[in-house]
Amino acid sequence: MRKGFRVVPIFLLMGFLASTALAGEPTEAIQKTTDKIIAIVTDPALKGPAKSEEKAKLIRQAVDERFDWEEMSRRTLARHWQDRTDAQKKEFMVLFAELLEATYLDKVEGYSGEKVIYEGERSDGEYAVVAVKIVTQKETEIPVKYRMKKIKNEWRVYDISITGVSLINNYRKQFNSIITRSSFDSLMEKLEAKVKREE
Amino acid sequence: MGVEPKYVVFLLMGVLSGFLFSGGVYAAPSPVLDLDHHSLIHETDARESWGDEVPGTEQPKGGSTGSPVLLCQVAGQVGMEEDSEAWEGGGASIPDPLEPVNRAFFQFNDKLYFWILKPVGQGYAKVVPQPARVSIRNFFSNLVMPIRAISCLLQGKMEGVGIEVLRFVVNTTAGFAGFQDVARQHLDLPLQDEDLGQVFAFWGIGPGFYIDLPFLGPSSLRGTVGWAGQLYLNPLDYMVEDVWANIGVRSYDLVNRSSLRIGEYESLKRAALDPYVSLRDAYYQYRIHQIEK
Repeated sequence: MRKGFRVVPIFLLMGFLASTALAGEPTEAIQKTTDKIIAIVTDPALKGPAKSEEKAKLIRQAVDERFDWEEMSRRTLARHWQDRTDAQKKEFMVLFAELLEATYLDKVEGYSGEKVIYEGERSDGEYAVVAVKIVTQKETEIPVKYRMKKIKNEWRVYDISITGVSLINNYRKQFNSIITRSSFDSLMEKLEAKVKREE
Repeated sequence: MGVEPKYVVFLLMGVLSGFLFSGGVYAAPSPVLDLDHHSLIHETDARESWGDEVPGTEQPKGGSTGSPVLLCQVAGQVGMEEDSEAWEGGGASIPDPLEPVNRAFFQFNDKLYFWILKPVGQGYAKVVPQPARVSIRNFFSNLVMPIRAISCLLQGKMEGVGIEVLRFVVNTTAGFAGFQDVARQHLDLPLQDEDLGQVFAFWGIGPGFYIDLPFLGPSSLRGTVGWAGQLYLNPLDYMVEDVWANIGVRSYDLVNRSSLRIGEYESLKRAALDPYVSLRDAYYQYRIHQIEK
């Protein structure tokens, strides 16, 4: 038994070496942003309700650098995208980005020492999928996949799926349902109301 | 016990099948029954779903004008909205001919959660510390091993059967009657998340349509039949035969599990513009993810 325990760290180390060897640019990009966000969330100087706005701002900045809001917006609206004027597209992008940021903040704020394990990536030069596993304190494992696209030499996230549920697909269903039942304007109204309430 | 809850389920099945055969729900070709098509969506790389969204590939919407009245109409009309969504690429939808009923049950479950399950779960969580609740969850999960093992077997996943049996032996002994998941922690034998619904999917049976079951939450016709079948595989039903004691044990399991998941539903609701559609799609995408594994 005692011997077994000594073997474990060596395996961990080997696993770590293997994963860093496999990790390419997309994984590095995700890792950089994740580390940055964990550092913000766990920063003792940013604790407490007085600092929550500052903390949110810092997280938003980190997310902004990595997420591609335009790509996300286009994919979410799908066939409704090309019917929009440039002004409408821009307006939608701003609101949708705010909603996604709020959603992301909501998920990240409850951070309590979950471990993030990088499980590898698949890439064809222009597009990539980075697989991550989040291990919670409640002994559950949450598989997360980041879908990324290389834009101007930077890897940007355009979709996140959590336990197989793609965020963009989920919003696409909702938005399509709202647009086909009423109108794009009503979607915008709802988005605006939602974003306001989140603040 | 065992008998009475099953009767309730069969009654439900009866109502559903009655609806099925009278309403001609299947008259419209359903995009969702084609499972092979779906496996593409999640397995393929990023580029695949892109193609469908390139400008210019928009398809005519046919008779579906998107009028809200149309979409709420009877069974014969359903499927249109689903069809138009299927064109988007990156994920078809599950047909939802019972949407008005489902929305009502969604509201019912929403209230059930916020008025009863959540406060009870929170109160319970104050008394029982988290590690203990995790252990209790492990215990119940260990108990229903036959459901997972048989579901693996029926899909020919022999390695899964082996893992489940081994897990049961290890966790029941070294894991103190299943309270500790030592098989996962020390032997790297993870729980095989298989159920009868996934078996039916493996056999090529489509999900049918979406059902938001009162008390039980999101499911499909296929999932509901699987759930009913599992009542026969659940050792709990043979161990606790008294109806009320059985319901009591099940309720306790539910409260314990919910106490570990408080906040998940809230966060879905906070993020959603239409929580009903969001939950329906999340259920569907999650099931595809489980089935593909």
